[in-house]
Amino acid sequence: MSTATASNSPGKWVVLPHYAFAAVSFLTLCLLLLFSTDAFGGHYFHPKLLTLTHVAVLGWATMTIFGALYQLLPVVLEGKLYSEKLAIWTFGLLGTGTILLAYSFWFFQVGLPMHLAACCLFVSFLLFNINIIQTARKAPKWTVEADFIVTSAAWLLLTGFIGLLMAVNFTQPFLPQDHVHYLKLHAHIGMGGWFLLLIIGVGAKLIPMFLLAHVEGTKHLNWSYNLINAGLVLFTFDHLFLHTRLLPLYAGLVVGGVGAFLLFLREAKKSRQRADLDLGMQQTFVALALLVVPLGLLLLVSSQIELPAAVMSSLYLVYGLSIFLGFVSALILGQTFKTLPFIIWMHAYEDLVGRFKTPLPKDLYSHALLRWQNICYLLGFVVVVAGVLLREQAVILVGAISLTVAAVLYTVNVFHLLLHKVPDLKPFPYGNANA
Amino acid sequence: METLTPDTPEQVLETLKYIIDPEIGINIVDLGLVYKVAVDEEHIHIELTLTTKGCPMSGTITTATQQILKRRFPDHEIVVELVWVPVWSPEMITDEGRRQLDEM
Repeated sequence: MSTATASNSPGKWVVLPHYAFAAVSFLTLCLLLLFSTDAFGGHYFHPKLLTLTHVAVLGWATMTIFGALYQLLPVVLEGKLYSEKLAIWTFGLLGTGTILLAYSFWFFQVGLPMHLAACCLFVSFLLFNINIIQTARKAPKWTVEADFIVTSAAWLLLTGFIGLLMAVNFTQPFLPQDHVHYLKLHAHIGMGGWFLLLIIGVGAKLIPMFLLAHVEGTKHLNWSYNLINAGLVLFTFDHLFLHTRLLPLYAGLVVGGVGAFLLFLREAKKSRQRADLDLGMQQTFVALALLVVPLGLLLLVSSQIELPAAVMSSLYLVYGLSIFLGFVSALILGQTFKTLPFIIWMHAYEDLVGRFKTPLPKDLYSHALLRWQNICYLLGFVVVVAGVLLREQAVILVGAISLTVAAVLYTVNVFHLLLHKVPDLKPFPYGNANA
Repeated sequence: METLTPDTPEQVLETLKYIIDPEIGINIVDLGLVYKVAVDEEHIHIELTLTTKGCPMSGTITTATQQILKRRFPDHEIVVELVWVPVWSPEMITDEGRRQLDEM
């Protein structure tokens, strides 16, 4: 019989600052959105939209993912994180890079601040890769989830590298093609390579765990991994060197990969033992449903069908919004309340379990705030998308206000968790344990 | 606190029901995580598992098992072994555990 090791979880100072920074970033993102309604009337290459996008993808999404991943990686790879020190440096560089980049785009300072920001971010991603690869190398058993996570880190590094090249190219042009050409590559490998692969890799482990489900075999996940990576690699080469009209094929491969993951989730849902879905999991399934929007738009924008320029411009904006403000944000808003309460609980109560009657992780945050957060978020997202499609600034503003309310509720709940203090606990009387 | 000498493994299992899996909200016995309880005059030997390998709860649950049994049965040496064979699956949840899950 094989025996297991003790807990591999990292220290709380490695994980928790990420959640704090991300919550503030989400609030900042929504506040900036209130002052950016005028930016949605034209092309996506707009200083305000670039600011919003990078605050969303770096300060909000990547920051949360880094923090959660340091906690989840030992679960997925069954070993300790390689270096907590590297993780803290990664956090510092990501935070600094995000703030500098947001400043650079908002005020369009494309010189030193942007170069510094791009360098900070690239080094941050490099350190993250070292940490992930070294942790994975020591994993006792290599799994398809490990494939997803390690590959996503590599795509993140490539995304950061292209971003760095573009930042330099602003002041010292050396790239053979125009900026928008590389922006498409930068954005798509970031979305498909980093976010999508990472979310599938982690979700494949966590979602069945939270549903108490057991999925036999990894056939669907293997297909998902191969199809998405094939689509991304072919798209990258084509975009850089070939310039064929095969974009719908590559988009189809990525969509097929996501479809395979959804089949995996369907099996998990069928075999689940938990009939109830808590608010965190409900929001997770909302996020997965929202994924249909960008996947549909991906096929549309890659098909290069002739549509009026204004319509195409709006569709591109909705495409981007539906990924970052839609799928990724919805997922984080839900999964934060599946991961963070547990992390806080573990650090506060793990030594007290079995001696005192301890609260459960779900008792550590406000469910009412979470419910209203989910409602305001979904309402805000739908209204913002409608406003962008209708090109109505007033409608976008109403949606942005609703999203800001969601962000305030989220931030209050997250900081309520982060500042949790252990109350006076009663020792067990040892009577009827099930009572 | 009342302390006992366990006559049967059932008394040990009853004690272990105070340890609740924090994510699921059900005790580790009804979740089917306790595979073996062996009791003799000097030792209590427990074999338990977790719902998934690499679970961050591994240290918490094994320490809690040690602590709660030592407090309840202080004259016994407590040995807790975390095992992975057979692999836990949801079918191992007891009828009582299922009833609690249905009520959630």
